[in-house]
Amino acid sequence: MSAEAKLEGAAPAAPRSGRSRALQLLRRPETLLLAVLVGEWLLFYHFGTSTNRRGVVVGFGTMARQADILRHSCEIGLLALALTPIILTAGIDLSVGSLLGLCAVAFGKLWHDAGLSVPVAAALTLVVGGLAGGLNAGLITRLKLPPLIVTLGTYSLFRGLAEALTHGAVTYTDFPANFLELGQGRWLGLSAQAWPFLAVAAGVWLLVHRTTHGRAIRTIGFSPEGARYAGLPADRRVAQVYILAGVIVGIAALIYTARLGQAKADAGMGYELFAITAVVLGGTSIFGGRGSVTGTLLGVAVIAVMKNGLASLPVVIRMNATEEMAGLATGALLLLALMGSNIAAGKPRK
Amino acid sequence: MKRYFQEISVTVTLGLVLVALAIFAPGFYQPQPLLSLATREAPALIVACGMALVIIGRQIDISVGSQFSVCSVSAALLVTHGWPLWAVVPAAAAIGALQGAFNGAMVAWLRMPSIVVTLATMVTLRQGLNLVRQGEFVNLPDGVQWFGLSQAAGQGVLVLIALAVLVLIALAMRHLAIGRSVYAVGSDAEAARLAGIPPQRVTFMLFVLLGALAGLAATMNLVQSPQVQPAVGTGLEMKVIAAVVVGGVAISGGRGNLWGAFMGLLLLACVSPALIHLHIEAYWEKAIQGAIILLAVVAEGLRRTREKGGHG
Repeated sequence: MSAEAKLEGAAPAAPRSGRSRALQLLRRPETLLLAVLVGEWLLFYHFGTSTNRRGVVVGFGTMARQADILRHSCEIGLLALALTPIILTAGIDLSVGSLLGLCAVAFGKLWHDAGLSVPVAAALTLVVGGLAGGLNAGLITRLKLPPLIVTLGTYSLFRGLAEALTHGAVTYTDFPANFLELGQGRWLGLSAQAWPFLAVAAGVWLLVHRTTHGRAIRTIGFSPEGARYAGLPADRRVAQVYILAGVIVGIAALIYTARLGQAKADAGMGYELFAITAVVLGGTSIFGGRGSVTGTLLGVAVIAVMKNGLASLPVVIRMNATEEMAGLATGALLLLALMGSNIAAGKPRK
Repeated sequence: MKRYFQEISVTVTLGLVLVALAIFAPGFYQPQPLLSLATREAPALIVACGMALVIIGRQIDISVGSQFSVCSVSAALLVTHGWPLWAVVPAAAAIGALQGAFNGAMVAWLRMPSIVVTLATMVTLRQGLNLVRQGEFVNLPDGVQWFGLSQAAGQGVLVLIALAVLVLIALAMRHLAIGRSVYAVGSDAEAARLAGIPPQRVTFMLFVLLGALAGLAATMNLVQSPQVQPAVGTGLEMKVIAAVVVGGVAISGGRGNLWGAFMGLLLLACVSPALIHLHIEAYWEKAIQGAIILLAVVAEGLRRTREKGGHG
C-alpha cells in the first residue's frame, strides 16, 4: 500500500462533490454499525416484547430493560474505551480484564483490611491501576518489547496477584450503602454508573479526536518511523496511553465492585475479549492509526443490545442458551465486520 | 552461543529450579508423580509445538483452546459410538485441521489479522460447543482409559508420543526445506515470495497443522480420564503461547525453535508442583508464571537494547 493511500485513510481528502461525500459517509464503519444497532433493536423490540396476562408490557421493550442494558455495558464499555487509544497506536492490552480483578481486590483490601475510608481506598485503587498500566508502559517503551507479549505476561501476573492477595478464597463484601449506589442506584434518571462512563467516554473522545495528543497517537499507529521523523515523543505518548488505560480500568473495577457488592479475584475474567471485540467491531484497525471513539461506543452498544435482546427472545429462552447465542452472534459479527472492512478498503490489507 | 541466548538461559533456569528442588524438596523426585506430571503436560506439549510454528511464521492463534475442546468432545462422542481408538485419532486430527483451515484461509487469503480472526473463532467455537452440548459431560466406555493398558504403561506411551512429535517437528524445522520456509515467511514474507516460497500457502498450512495437532492432543487428553468435560482446554491458548514465548520464540516471527518451547513449557509446568513441595501456598502459581513470562521477555529485551547500544 502506498504512502498516499495510507494517508487518505487517515484524513479523508476534501470531498469533491456532495455525492462522493455522502458515499464516504456511508462507507464509514460507524454508519454501518449504527444501522446494525437500530436494526437489531427494532428486531428485538418486535420479537422480544410481549404483554403478560395482567396487561403489563414485559421483555425487551420496557424502560427498565433499557436501563439494564446501559448498566451492564458500563464496565466492558470502560475497558473498550481504555483499549481504543492503545489499539490506535498499533498496540494491544490483554491484561485489562486481569487488572480489573486486581483493582477490585485492591479496593476491597484497602477498605476492609487497611480500614481506609471509601474515597481514599477508591483513589488508591486508581493509583494501583495507573501503576499497573505504568508497568506495561515501561516494559513496552523502555525495553521495546511487543505489547502482545508484555500484556500476556501481565495478564497472568495481575490475575495471579489478585489470587495471591485474597489467598484464592477471600471475598470482600458488606461495602457501605452509599458506595453500592454507584453500581446499583440511579442518578438524574440514569443508572448511576452511566455518568462516570459517559464522562470517561467524553474525555477519551476529546483526547483522541480533538487534541494534538490524539493526532500523535494515530500518527504513531500509522507509521512509527514517520512519527519519529516528525519529532513526536512517541515513547512518552505510548506510555501515557497505557497508564491512562490502567486508571480507566481502576474506575471500571470500582463500578464492578459496587454493582455486584463484592470484590473477588475472578472479577472481570474474560472481559478483555469482549472489550477488544467491541473496539475492532467499531472499526478501529488492529494495525493502528485508524479508528474512532464513536465507533467503539457503537460497538459496545451493539454487543450489549445483542446480549440483552437475545435473552428476551422466546426461542432463546426456551433453549436456555442466552450466553451461547450472544457469543456466537458476537463472533460472527466480528468476522463479518472484518470481511466488510476488507471489501470496503477495496483491496486486501497488509 | 549468543544466537541461542534465550534458549540457553531458559534451560539454565530450569536446571537451577530442578537443582533447588533436589536440595530443598527431594520429595519432588518420585517416579510416579513425575510421570503423572509429564503425562498431564504431554497434550500441551503437542499443542505448543504447533503454536511455536505458527508464531515463527509471524501469526498467532488464540482459538486453539476452543479447537481443543471441540476435538475432545467430538472424539469422545465417536468413542461412545463404538469407534476404535485408532480411527478416532485421525478423525479428531481431521476435525482440528478443518478448524485450523478456516482460520488459515481467513488469514492467508483474505489477509485478515490472525489475532482478530482467531479471537472471533475462539468465541464462536466455544459458544457453539456450549450451545450444542449444554455443558454435558461425555462418559467414556471402559477400556479407553490408558488404551486399556496399566496406568503407568499408558502414561509412558503418551509421553513417548509427545516426545516423538516434538523431535519429528523439530528436525523437520531444522533440516527440511518446508521447515526453513516457515522461518523465511516469518522473517519477511515478501522476501520469501521473491525466493519462490508461497507465503500464503505456508501460512495456511501452519494453521491446519496446529489444528491437527490440537486434535491429536485432544485424544491424548481423552485417554487420561474416564470422562470428558466440554470446558477442557479453556485457557490452553494462553498456556502454550506463554511456554513458546518463554522458550525464546519471537512474537515478531522468524526466530526461535522447538527445544526452547519445550524448555519453556517444562519450566512453567514445574511451578505448581514446586510450590507444593516448597510449602508455598498454591495461589501464588499464576503470579509466578506471569513473572516468569515477564522475566523472559525482559531478559530478551535487555540483551537486544544492549547489543544495539554496543554497536553504536
